[in-house]
Formats: sequence, C-alpha cells, structure tokens
Amino acid sequence: MTTNSLAPIVTLLQQHRAAISSEWMTEVLRVWMRLYPGLVNEDELRRQADALLKELGKLFSEHSGEAPPDITGNSELGEIARELSSERAKKGFKPADTAQYVITLKNVLTQHLVRTLNESPTSLTLCLRAVDDVLDRLSLLTFDAFVETRERVIAQQSLSLVELSTPVILLWNNVLLLPLIGVIDTVRARQLTERLLESITKHEASVTLIDVTGVPVFDTSVARHIMKAIDAAQLLGSRIVMTGISPEGAQTLTKLGISFANVISRATLRAGLAEALQLVGRRIEFTGGVHK
Amino acid sequence: MKIPILRLGRILLSSIQVDLTDADAMQFQDDLVNKIAEIEALGIVIDITSLEVVDSFMARVINDTAGMARLLGAEVVICGVQPYVAMTLVEMGRDLIGVDCTFNLDQGLEIIKARIEMRGDARMIEGEG
Repeated sequence: MTTNSLAPIVTLLQQHRAAISSEWMTEVLRVWMRLYPGLVNEDELRRQADALLKELGKLFSEHSGEAPPDITGNSELGEIARELSSERAKKGFKPADTAQYVITLKNVLTQHLVRTLNESPTSLTLCLRAVDDVLDRLSLLTFDAFVETRERVIAQQSLSLVELSTPVILLWNNVLLLPLIGVIDTVRARQLTERLLESITKHEASVTLIDVTGVPVFDTSVARHIMKAIDAAQLLGSRIVMTGISPEGAQTLTKLGISFANVISRATLRAGLAEALQLVGRRIEFTGGVHK
Repeated sequence: MKIPILRLGRILLSSIQVDLTDADAMQFQDDLVNKIAEIEALGIVIDITSLEVVDSFMARVINDTAGMARLLGAEVVICGVQPYVAMTLVEMGRDLIGVDCTFNLDQGLEIIKARIEMRGDARMIEGEG
C-alpha cells in the first residue's frame, strides 16, 4: 500500500471531527443568525455539517496518490452540498453568504492542519493544497446549485405570471373592461385577445375599455400586441377606449411612432368610463345621497 | 428657458414666443405632458403666433406633443401659424396632420371647448365638482 500523503487530513477529520464541526458551525451561525434571524435551523445545520465532514473524511481516506481527489455533483458529498445550497437559495440567502459556508470550513480546516503539521512543512503544503482544491470545488458546486435553484424559482414565477388570469369584466350593459397588469408577451397577448374576443361576442359589447395602468413598460412589441387585440375587437364592432397611459408611456409610444390613431385614449380609467357611458348613451348622476 | 404653461380650468394654454433650442423644446414637451397628466387636462392650446421660423425638429416636437396629449386624453389645437411658417412646413412635407389649427387664441379656445363638450367625461367629472 502506498503511503497516503493526505493521511493527516483523514486523521484530523476522524479524531477532531466534533471540534472542527463545532468551530465551523459557531462561525457560520454567528454570521447567519445575525443576517437571517428566524431562517436558520441550528439542529438541522449541525446534522448537515456532521454528514458533510464524514463524507469529506471518506473522500480523503479512499483516495491515494499525489493529485488532490476529485469531487463530482453525483457523489454523496456533492449531494449534501447541493441540497444545503439550494435550501439557502429558497430561503432567500445571498449567494456570498451561502458561499461563506464552505469558505468558513476551509479556514477551520486550514487552522487545524497548520497546528498539527507544524513540524513537517512538506506534508503541510501537500495537505493544504489538497484541502484548498477540494473545498474550492465544493464551493463552486454549492454556487452552481444555488444559481440553479434561483433560476428554477425565476422560471416558475414567469410561468405563473403567464398563467395569471386576465379577467374581462362586464362593467355595464354592453361595456367591457380589460385591465392589463404585468408584462405582456406573445403568449399572454394571444390568451388575452382570445378571451377578450369571446367576451365581446358573448356580451355584445359596444364599448370596450382597455386599462393599461398596470403595464410597467411600453415598447414596440407590447404596443403591437395591444394594437392587434384592439384591431380584432374593432372588427367585431366594439369601440375601444384605452385608459391609464402614463406620461412616460405616452412619450415612449409617440417616439416609437405608435399613435393608436383609431382609438379613444383617456388618462384615467375614470375618464374612460365616462366616455364609455357617453358612447352607450348613459350617465352617472348624483342622487343627493349622504356621502359626498 | 422655460415656457410657461397656464391653466384655464381643465384646459392648458401655452404660448411659444421665442425660438427654442432643441433642448428647450424637449423640456417644454416633457413639462406639458406631465402637466396634462397631473391635472387630467381635457384640452391644450399651443400658440405659436410669435414663431417666425419652425424648423423640421420643432415641427416634429409639436406633432409628437400633440400625439402624446391625445394618448393622455386631451384635445389639441395649435393657433397662430404664420403664413411663411405654413409654407415652409408644407414645403418640408411635414404638415401638422391630425392637429387642428386656428388663426388666433380665441378661435382655438372655442374649438377646444366645443370638442370637450362633445366628450363624455367633461360633464360628469365637472358635475362631481
């Protein structure tokens, strides 16, 4: 059997695992408890730390030769790191604070190694290099997992935004309201156009209000989508009143050369409603009630 | 140089009396659009009686401003376009299409008021007083 040059690490991890774990966790908890109070489960963290150290010990003891051992995402160790990191991501930890976890372990291990291998510099160098290498990889792995989880969350959110219903409201006889909220992309535009047209036919709406107060940005594609919906609605014989364009929105649209020429446009939904009622020959009257 | 924007009920009045630099023109456009949104103006009258030269940029600014005002639900009238200005604008092929023009402020206000009268929101919102 070749002498394992990394044996000191194995010994260290076997004999002082409790001490390392506790030192490590003290440091991590000190930072995390301050930054994310209420989001840290101490018992769980300690358990994970123990498991991680055990796997780390296994990795070094099963390894022989000069080159530092390699870790992949599929190994037990990678699995633990991944799980931990994605948990942090879900709880809203910052990436740097999550990376701190592994970096703290590296510091603790380094300190211990320096203390034990004080007498033999050659061995110390080798061990330090190995620890450095392995933990750097581990740190990259946690970072990957963190980003992956975040991306999954973002994907889910954008999906739920698409699924977010676009209600078409019957405001008065023959008057429909389509409040647009959020980003309008191709998929959503098609959905809302379909629903709008269905409702117009169903209620025989002669006036349709489209309120864009909740649309954060206007660009050519958003304007084109809205324009298509408007054109289609007009083909069915409904008049369109657009409301809620902000001054910035009006400036952007004009600068893009989009004028919504055949559409009545009003600054507020209130003014738009008045216009719509006028178009269907009705009006709201003050009846002398108690509330002024 | 800031162009004053006067308020006459729910109508905004503005008179451009000196030649504007491009930056001034953009500033004016910005001010006017924000003012329209602020008071929910029903109409705006822009008086350009004293303008002897309207270059293509200025013509575009006026046109754009009218478009923005329309999107914000305000009627637009330009008054006092001078004969030479009218000629140059037509020569440039940049006529103020879509914007009504009148000889003077008096007529401008009359047209604006008539148009507002025809709208549904004027009466209702005023009635709430």
